[in-house]
Amino acid sequence: MAKRSIVPFGPQHPVLPEPVHLDLVLEDETVVGAIPSIGYIHRGLEKLVEKRDFKQYVYIAERVCGICSCGHGMGYCESVEKVMGIEVPRRAEYLRTIWMEMSRVHSHLLWLGLLADAMGFESLFMESWRLREKILDMFDKTAGGRIILSVNCVGGVLKDMDGGMLQGVLHAVEDLEKEMKPVIDTFLEDYTVQSRLKGTGILSRENAIAMGAVGPTLRASGEAYDIRMLGYAAYKDLSVEPITEKDGDCYARCEVRLRELLQSFALICEAIQKIPEGPIAVPVKGNPKGEYFMRIEQPRGEAIYYVKGNGTKYLDRFRLRTPTTSNIPPMVEMLKGCQLADVPLLILTIDPCVSCTER
Amino acid sequence: MKKTRMFTFAGRVLSNLFQKPATTNYPFQPVEYPDRMRGHVVIKIEDCISCGLCVRQCPSQAIQVDKKAGTWKINRFDCVQCGNCVNVCPKKCLAMEKGYTEPDGQKTCEAFTRPKQQETKPTITGKPTMNPEKCVYCTLCAKKCPQNALKVDRKEKIWELNPEACIQCGICMSVCPKHAIEMKQ
Amino acid sequence: MDDKNEIRKITMAELFPLIIEMKAKHWRLVQICAVSIEQGYEMSYSFCKNEEYRMVTLRLEVGEEETIASITPIYPCAFLQENEAAELFGVKIENISPNYQDKLYRIDEVAPFKKKE
Repeated sequence: MAKRSIVPFGPQHPVLPEPVHLDLVLEDETVVGAIPSIGYIHRGLEKLVEKRDFKQYVYIAERVCGICSCGHGMGYCESVEKVMGIEVPRRAEYLRTIWMEMSRVHSHLLWLGLLADAMGFESLFMESWRLREKILDMFDKTAGGRIILSVNCVGGVLKDMDGGMLQGVLHAVEDLEKEMKPVIDTFLEDYTVQSRLKGTGILSRENAIAMGAVGPTLRASGEAYDIRMLGYAAYKDLSVEPITEKDGDCYARCEVRLRELLQSFALICEAIQKIPEGPIAVPVKGNPKGEYFMRIEQPRGEAIYYVKGNGTKYLDRFRLRTPTTSNIPPMVEMLKGCQLADVPLLILTIDPCVSCTER
Repeated sequence: MKKTRMFTFAGRVLSNLFQKPATTNYPFQPVEYPDRMRGHVVIKIEDCISCGLCVRQCPSQAIQVDKKAGTWKINRFDCVQCGNCVNVCPKKCLAMEKGYTEPDGQKTCEAFTRPKQQETKPTITGKPTMNPEKCVYCTLCAKKCPQNALKVDRKEKIWELNPEACIQCGICMSVCPKHAIEMKQ
Repeated sequence: MDDKNEIRKITMAELFPLIIEMKAKHWRLVQICAVSIEQGYEMSYSFCKNEEYRMVTLRLEVGEEETIASITPIYPCAFLQENEAAELFGVKIENISPNYQDKLYRIDEVAPFKKKE
């Protein structure tokens, strides 16, 4: 039997944007086990819900994490609205959807850049992030912030987009779609990318379900599961289809995200064509009493927002189960049997978001 | 099997050599911020009535208000630029402007004091009281109250104030079409 | 709650048979959530049937001193969330594997989320 050794990986590692630590058990160069540990950036934001009133907590919910910010605000608002039985105006639902899809584009482009960087493909990294900048500029123009949008409020949205802004978003998306073409081709066809990603970190469909994978990680293993099919916000009027791949390897996870980018472009265009006129928010009276589990499809997968209200303006409990919490166990499963050199890439393909996970 | 290509970025790399950089030459070339940008909070201190709603609604507790001295203080380094204070301000004297906060070596508070000559105006003190002879129970005051502290029922002829929720902003007094509301200690 | 999202109240004796049944029918573990209530804790185990988008939450009330057995032998992916509930709320969960011994989040305070403020 080969000699076993334990190699610490992280919390500071060039490939990791955020601190997560892994103890890798190696047999020669092959990983036979991994123990994840987090806890470097725990802030206890779930507890803060007891000290801030429920309307104010939106701003804290969306500051749980930068990249998933828009979705967190939206998920929290929708769960409180479900508890209180508030009907959100149609225009507000469409605006939320447009901003949400834009943040999916920016999150996936960020991830593609990080993936290219992890492979050492610097110019592809630069190109992905250059394109991402166009979406960030549109965020800045429409919502007032490049990352933290602060547009959601209980009962609707805070800011409206006028015709000119919607046209601006449409043009930016159309431009982006054109410029994305060579980048997508490179990710799918380049020799370097293929030889790094193909066949590494295979997660079978059975394993993915048993380990509770969500989002692109699950869909790349062939399971058609996308919470957007439930039709929250404006998704009931739009043509959403879960995007799946069969192979379950790193390449499949990359392909799912690339195809989701194209889907998001189409969804944004469709939403802008269909957006109705009308008010953007309804006044909120009273306090939430009751509980609800809200499910939202974040760029990284299904996120759960649990809200329990007791009839006062302070909520009893807010729980946020983020996609990465669910994706860490399948990641540990994938790591078993891979080469040490592939570990950084493998960790990256679940798109870990540690500040979400630790809240 | 998908096709495989090599040197996919060679053309792009070569053309980049002869192009202008994609980045701008900041700080020599100033940035143009969009109009909606949430950069920093500004206050029109003359209009401020020190109601303290912004203090209570600030998620990061960056604002302090002293009612007696008439000051409004903000710790720019605690502020997270969410814009909640601007949304809740009953007098609309707060606004979000573009441009970021200047960096500094230590955390500092910026204080604004209301000018003294304002005192000649009738200042609002105390809680609203209603004159039953004038009131027509139109419910406008209840609708405009930022704290939802008023309960008005036209059928039952009820006008009730929740004294704990009231922040003495005086908006009910100013909107009342019949001038039936007075602020009294 | 709508038809795709239900909460089912269960007792301690029912927990394990139900979870084994869920596993046999290939339900995916969605989340585990602890809430402190007056006499102890409320544990919610949510499962999802992917094809139908149905989510079922098993709601179990546990006394403050009562111990629950870990579901990690059946659902190994539950370890992060069970460790979290044990560390932040002080729920007594036995035989979690791997057990982080209250050091998942590296905080000094014992069960900081347990008491309401």
